[in-house]
Amino acid sequence: MEKEIMDAMAMKRALTRITYEIIERNKGVEDIVLIGIKTRGVFIARRIAERLKQLENFDIPVGELDIAEYRDDQKSSAEKRSSEANSSLARLDLKDRKVILIDDVLYTGRTIRAAMDAIMDINRPAQISLAVLVDRGHRELPIRADFVGKNIPTAQNEKINVSVREIDGEDVVLLTN
Amino acid sequence: MADRYLILEDGSVFKGKAFGSRATTFGEVVFNTVMTGYQQVITNQIYHNQIIVFSQPTIGAVGIDRSSYESVDPTCKGVIVRDVAAVSINRRRRLSLDEYLKRQNIPGISGIDTRALIKKLRSTGTIKGSIIDPVNDLEHAFDQLRAIVLTNQQVNQVSTPKAFPNPGNGKNVVVVDLGLKYGILRQLSQRDCNVTVLPYSATADSIFSLDPDGVIISTGPGNPNDLPAQVIEMIQTVQRNIPLFAIGLGHEAFAIANGCSINELSSEHHGSNHPILSVITDEIMYASHGQGFTVDPESVDRNDLIVTHYDLIDRSVQGLRHRDFPAFSVQFFPDSSPGPNEATELFDEFMEMMTTRGGR
Repeated sequence: MEKEIMDAMAMKRALTRITYEIIERNKGVEDIVLIGIKTRGVFIARRIAERLKQLENFDIPVGELDIAEYRDDQKSSAEKRSSEANSSLARLDLKDRKVILIDDVLYTGRTIRAAMDAIMDINRPAQISLAVLVDRGHRELPIRADFVGKNIPTAQNEKINVSVREIDGEDVVLLTN
Repeated sequence: MADRYLILEDGSVFKGKAFGSRATTFGEVVFNTVMTGYQQVITNQIYHNQIIVFSQPTIGAVGIDRSSYESVDPTCKGVIVRDVAAVSINRRRRLSLDEYLKRQNIPGISGIDTRALIKKLRSTGTIKGSIIDPVNDLEHAFDQLRAIVLTNQQVNQVSTPKAFPNPGNGKNVVVVDLGLKYGILRQLSQRDCNVTVLPYSATADSIFSLDPDGVIISTGPGNPNDLPAQVIEMIQTVQRNIPLFAIGLGHEAFAIANGCSINELSSEHHGSNHPILSVITDEIMYASHGQGFTVDPESVDRNDLIVTHYDLIDRSVQGLRHRDFPAFSVQFFPDSSPGPNEATELFDEFMEMMTTRGGR
C-alpha cells in the first residue's frame, strides 16, 4: 500500500519554513555552510541555499557528502577513508563555520553519525546542526534534528520514499508498506 | 428609478439613479477593481466610513449569497456602480443586491460614469463624497459635505465589544479583531482550529491566559497610526512568545511595532490585479488588496525584519517576517474572499509554524 505524505506544495512549504528557521536561529548567514548528504540531501541543500540567496542575497556554500565509506554496517571501511569521494567537501573551509547537515529522511541516526565522522575528518566546525525533510523516528543513536520538515511516525516495516524533481522527475514523499 | 446625485468634495457632481437605501450618506470615496466578489467587498469592514466605486461595469448579477458575508453588519457608506443588474443568474440567489442594501440601510447609485469618476479619483486621491437626493440648493449640500468630519476611531467602532468563540478541535488560535473579515475565520475553520476572537483592546496577558498556539491580528479599517499604543505594545509582547500572523491593518500594526513607519497612499489600492512576488521562492501570486496605507520600505530595519513579499506594480512592501521570532505579516488578504485562493497557503504556513514552535 502506498500513501502520499507530502506533495510538491507541502515540500516547498517545508523547505521555506526550514529556511526561515535557519535565519531565526543563526544571527546572520555568513558563517553557514550547508552540507547535503548524497543523494537527495544534496538537492534539498541546494534548494535551501537558493532560498537563503533570495532572502539575504548571499551565496551560501553547499557541500556534498558521500557517507558510504563511513558506514558502520559495512566492513573494511577504514581503508577507503582516504578516497577521493569527498574531495569537493575538502575544498570547503569548514573550520569555525556553522555546518548544517541536510538529509531527506532521519531514521536510525546512523547516517548522521557517519556524516559527522566524515566532517570531523576534514576539519573542526564551530557547530554542526541537522535539517531533515522527514523525521520518521526509530532512532538507534542519541541524535535529533534541529530543523524538521515533517514528523511522520512510522512502523519499522514501512518505508519512506522521498522523490525530488531534479532526479526523480517530481517532488513527493510516499509511505509504503 | 428616482434620480440621485453623487457630489464630491472637489465640487464635481454626478447624476445617477437610486438603488438600495434612499438614505443620504457621507464617506471617503474609494474604488475597487475586482471583477468578482462584490458581496465580499461590500461586507468587508475595512470600508467603514467609505463609499465604494466598482470599476467592473455591472454589479449584482449573482445576487447575495448566504455563505459569502465578510461581516454580519456591513459598515460601508455607499455603493457606486455603472450598472446594477436587475436579474440574477445565480441559482443559489436568495436576495438581490438592491434588496440587501435596502435592508442594511446602505445607499447605492447607478448609472454613474465610473470610468470618469475613477480617473478623477486617481488624480485627487481619496476624497470625501456624498450620495444625496436631488436638491435645489446644491451649494448647501457641498457645505454640509465639507463640514463633515469622519471619525478616526473606526477600529473601535467595528471591533467586537466582547470575546466570542469559533470552536474546533485542533490548534488553539486567538484572533485579535481590528475589523475582522470572516474569511480569516473560514480559513481557520477549514483547518479545524479552536478560535477565540478578542476585541482590539485585548492585552498580551489576556491573550496568554487563553494559552493559544498562535495569534492572528486581523484586517481592519482606517489609519494604523491612529491605533491605540496598547495594540502596538500587545504585538511587541506577543511576537516574542507565540507564533504570530498579522494581516492588512494588522500587518501595518506589526510593522509599527517593529519600528517601521507607515505612509498614506496617494490613491487607495483595492483590487486583485497586482502580482505579488514571494521573495523566498521567486514566484508570483495574486490576492485581493485593500489598502490605503503602506509600509515605508526605507523604514524597514533589515536587522530585525525581512521583506518577504513585494507588489510588482508599485514595488510596495506586501509581506514582512521577523528575523528572531516566528512572526510574519502580509498586507494583502490571504483568505481569498474574494479573489484567487493561492495565498490561502499562508494559513498552512501558519499551521506548520504553530506545530513546530508550539509547546510554550
